[in-house]
Amino acid sequence: MKAAIIGSGRIGCGFAGERLAAAGYELVFIARNASMVAHLNRVKRYRVTLAQGRTRTERVVEGVRAVDIADRAAAVAALAEAAIIVTAVGANSLESIAPLVAEGLQARVTPVNLFTFENVADGGEVLRQAVARHLPQGFALGRFGFSGTLVSRAVTQQVGDTSCDEPLEFIGDPPADFVVDGRRLVEPVPAIPSMVVAENFAAWMQRKLFIFSAGHATCAYLGHLKGYRYIHSAIRDGEIRAAVLEAMREGQQGLAAVYGEEFAGGAAHLAEIVERFGNAAINDPVSRVARDPSRKLSSGDRLMGAARLAAKAGVHPRQLLLAAAAAYCFHDPADAHAAKLQEEIRVSGLNPTLQRVSGVKAGERLGRTLVGGWQRLAHPWHADSVLLSLTKIVWA
Amino acid sequence: MKVGILMMDYSQTRRHSVMPDVVDILTDWGVTVDLIYPEQQLIDVGNIRVEHDLYVLKASSPLAMSMAGALHAINATVINPYPVAATLRDKIVSERVLRAAGVPTPETFVCDRAEHLAPLLAHGPLVIKPYRGSRGKGVQVIWDADELDEIASNDGPLFAQRYYKPEGLDRKIYCIGGQIFGVERVWPALTYEAKVGRPFTITPELRDITLRCARAFGVDLLGLDVILSDGKPYVVDVNSFPGFKGVPDAALRLADYIFSAAERPRKARPAHVHAAHAELRQ
Repeated sequence: MKAAIIGSGRIGCGFAGERLAAAGYELVFIARNASMVAHLNRVKRYRVTLAQGRTRTERVVEGVRAVDIADRAAAVAALAEAAIIVTAVGANSLESIAPLVAEGLQARVTPVNLFTFENVADGGEVLRQAVARHLPQGFALGRFGFSGTLVSRAVTQQVGDTSCDEPLEFIGDPPADFVVDGRRLVEPVPAIPSMVVAENFAAWMQRKLFIFSAGHATCAYLGHLKGYRYIHSAIRDGEIRAAVLEAMREGQQGLAAVYGEEFAGGAAHLAEIVERFGNAAINDPVSRVARDPSRKLSSGDRLMGAARLAAKAGVHPRQLLLAAAAAYCFHDPADAHAAKLQEEIRVSGLNPTLQRVSGVKAGERLGRTLVGGWQRLAHPWHADSVLLSLTKIVWA
Repeated sequence: MKVGILMMDYSQTRRHSVMPDVVDILTDWGVTVDLIYPEQQLIDVGNIRVEHDLYVLKASSPLAMSMAGALHAINATVINPYPVAATLRDKIVSERVLRAAGVPTPETFVCDRAEHLAPLLAHGPLVIKPYRGSRGKGVQVIWDADELDEIASNDGPLFAQRYYKPEGLDRKIYCIGGQIFGVERVWPALTYEAKVGRPFTITPELRDITLRCARAFGVDLLGLDVILSDGKPYVVDVNSFPGFKGVPDAALRLADYIFSAAERPRKARPAHVHAAHAELRQ
């Protein structure tokens, strides 16, 4: 039973590969990096370290091989004979692998499910549409399942050198479950430990986005203002911890109004998330989580999407809006997207930027609170200023 | 991740040190922190090895300094490297470094005999400090040549700076990993509350001075004592690892910085070196 995994990065190896190997699949990676392909074929294994504080569990994924994506015949053959196909290439690269996937599907005799392990809402549908454009008219694409996935594990580090013979190490946190879209799958649905087959995948996407991701973003943007380098440092700051919990609670209240309280989860769910944020073993930098603020501030995304849903439920989402205000203050010279957003605010002003990026009018209640937060937090002096207190707004 | 901290036993003298909290936080984060008390052990110099990803030189005792120097000599990563700490221990050397970097400091003189200072007193009072002193110990203001008779110079050179009447509160500026924090406090601070003082937002001028100091010594962790006189700031002391009293969340900020500093040498080291170390340990 073979699994073809397109992409051999942190999620491809450290999550998808590890989970599929645990389910008994033999792994074939289809990768762009020739050095990585040679390494995997030479060493035939890699290590996955799951770390929580001082506790570390190591799993060795063995018997792996790799195919260079440039070796089209071998890559198509791997896709043709796989019992499951996975992508972990980054959302922006789905389009570029679509011709290969289309060719692979044409070479198949049996149906198969494709899972996109990408950080994008409904990556399965994105891939399906991209693949369809490369298939001949009349091709029965309906025989194949295309599902996005919601991955709970963060895999933050790849350690090692592909030119050496020591197996690479992928370091992440322990959660192993992932959610797939049950309505997009075809039979036979693979049995993989910790895979949750959801009938309402959109609800699960919102649950992850409006609770976990909203809390993560709140921690990152407030952490950045207060000068912390890591998520595990920021969440230890009492003010930030309280703000993160409250922002996630606001997200939960919005979800509870639509899907019910049980689905939204309670305080224990939030405590688990906060504990994960505090896990220093995965060394998650604030700058990584805060990267590309415009995307994270868009109307349906983690902060503004959660805020809108909460407002709809009659909850005024103060902490989510404070986090959004902090995101509008986020400045990182290494992040071109952040620099672009700051430039837009400088040139056009906050209100038009707010409307374009987040779809919020300055005059509506959400907009008023957000603008008020921004006015309190914006600090034009220099980018490395450190905010000492969120409540008193004292700068170092 | 392993961090070694060269410490003095502060249990009797400094109950409010930030270090125990820093150690607790790093330990919670899974860092192996070894507290190294050089004064409490017999050290085989030939056996000093680099056994940590990062060292922190918190102690300023001669033995701790020498041990940091020995570690530096065998390429250990020290957050406040020995050459910098040694320079900062010597006020004469550090004063010259500050001047060369354009940092405003009071007029400064050194001599071996107190009577050499007498002519200077015609132009105003002097502040006399032990040239290797710290934490304000042995600092005295001399107004009159008669007072020079009471100054003992058997502790080495006399370090004298022109006394400028300070305005307002004393200002402590702390730099933690390039982030700059200001704390105002009364002088002399006699109670713990007085030592904690209160944070203030530093001016662009103070920020520029702090960054000049940090660049001059090639570090991003230090503390400055600054006085304002006639509206002008003067740096009157620089410390390579101050107490950071009054900096909100100082322990968490230091732990965050130390964690990041310890990460850098680890990331730079390829996996096969990690493996080789593991084999050596077995």
